[in-house]
Amino acid sequence: MHTSHQLELYPGQTVTQVLFKCVRNSADLRKSAMEGKINAALINPKMLVDPFQVIVAANKAVHLQNIGKMKTRSLYSEILFNLSPTNNISEAFRRFGISDADDAVLVVLVATDDESQTLADVTEMVDGQQVHVEELPTLSDVTQIRKLYKVTPQEEKIGSLLDSVVCKMATKDVM
Amino acid sequence: MAVSNFLSKGSLLKQGAEARVYRDIFLGKSTIIKERFPKKYRHPLLDEKLTHRRTVQEVRSIQRCRKAGIPTPVVYFVDYTSHCIFLEDIADSVTVRDHIVSTQHQSHPSPTLEHLAPLAVKVGQILAQMHDEDVVHGDLTTSNMLLRRNGDVEDASELSLVLIDFGLSYISGLPEDKGVDLYVLEKAFLSTHPNTEALFQKLLESYTASSKKSSAVIKKLDEVRLRGRKRSMVG
Repeated sequence: MHTSHQLELYPGQTVTQVLFKCVRNSADLRKSAMEGKINAALINPKMLVDPFQVIVAANKAVHLQNIGKMKTRSLYSEILFNLSPTNNISEAFRRFGISDADDAVLVVLVATDDESQTLADVTEMVDGQQVHVEELPTLSDVTQIRKLYKVTPQEEKIGSLLDSVVCKMATKDVM
Repeated sequence: MAVSNFLSKGSLLKQGAEARVYRDIFLGKSTIIKERFPKKYRHPLLDEKLTHRRTVQEVRSIQRCRKAGIPTPVVYFVDYTSHCIFLEDIADSVTVRDHIVSTQHQSHPSPTLEHLAPLAVKVGQILAQMHDEDVVHGDLTTSNMLLRRNGDVEDASELSLVLIDFGLSYISGLPEDKGVDLYVLEKAFLSTHPNTEALFQKLLESYTASSKKSSAVIKKLDEVRLRGRKRSMVG
């Protein structure tokens, strides 16, 4: 059900994504995450096109952590920040973090070697139905994504929406 | 550090004066990695500055082109410490250079122009579009254009052309800069592909027809042809 990807640049680190629908305790989850009790990033699936988008953000976060150039305080907040097309941290949290009314959440973990313990811990905290990560595209709000990432119609003629989103994320710090 | 470890295991595709290009699997996808290595012959401070600026410039131009609908590879990741750009690998593609060379070999001597005319039209259109966005490529050659292989297409609109290597690109609205851009291509084109004057003419005609600002650029091109790429320093 969940997907894991070992980062090629940092072979010890694995990015794991778990998707939940029909979540009833978003407010509690958000609170725990903000208090630092959850060792994972909780992402609003509406703004995600594909699991690849999250891997791109996580890779950049791990890299910046390793070279000591993170813009935010933790690895998980950095993942949220990297997903955003802008350099505004609070806006990134607002757009990509979960809000109290959300009923779906993508949990992202970055772990060295054996992550099964934390994965189980986090899964336990979510009061919802776990679904396959491949279902992520069915939860995306494509209109909102186009608007947020300012994807032009010309741009979508030469590649997918995912291409545009990923390129925007990767190039945002020099635009 | 992590990046150089990663590259040491990758397969080197090409090495130029400015950068090394590798291909490897990155984030689960086939990826091209362009590494601008340190140039020992330059002062370290100057080298760092130049290399950084070129990396940034390349990334910016790619994003600007994509936004305007000009096909360029997707940027997956950039490491500004080792000056590496991780780019989409355009699968199943050949350089325009190789395509022209093999076409010339297959169908010599005369039908070459006919076969390649749609390609010349397409290149003209894309360059016109790029210049209308005020992106000057800086290193236009037939090796810096990729053609996605999708059969033998006769119609220019169905050809899938991707521009690569924006390492020397910059943003400029000046007809002079765009004229020099075309002049560089003309020189490279005619020297790599002998007896293709008619084909290049076709490309220019297509450029002129598609660009909104072509007349000033073509006028400059004629000027540049007489004096060469560098502007006269007299006066």
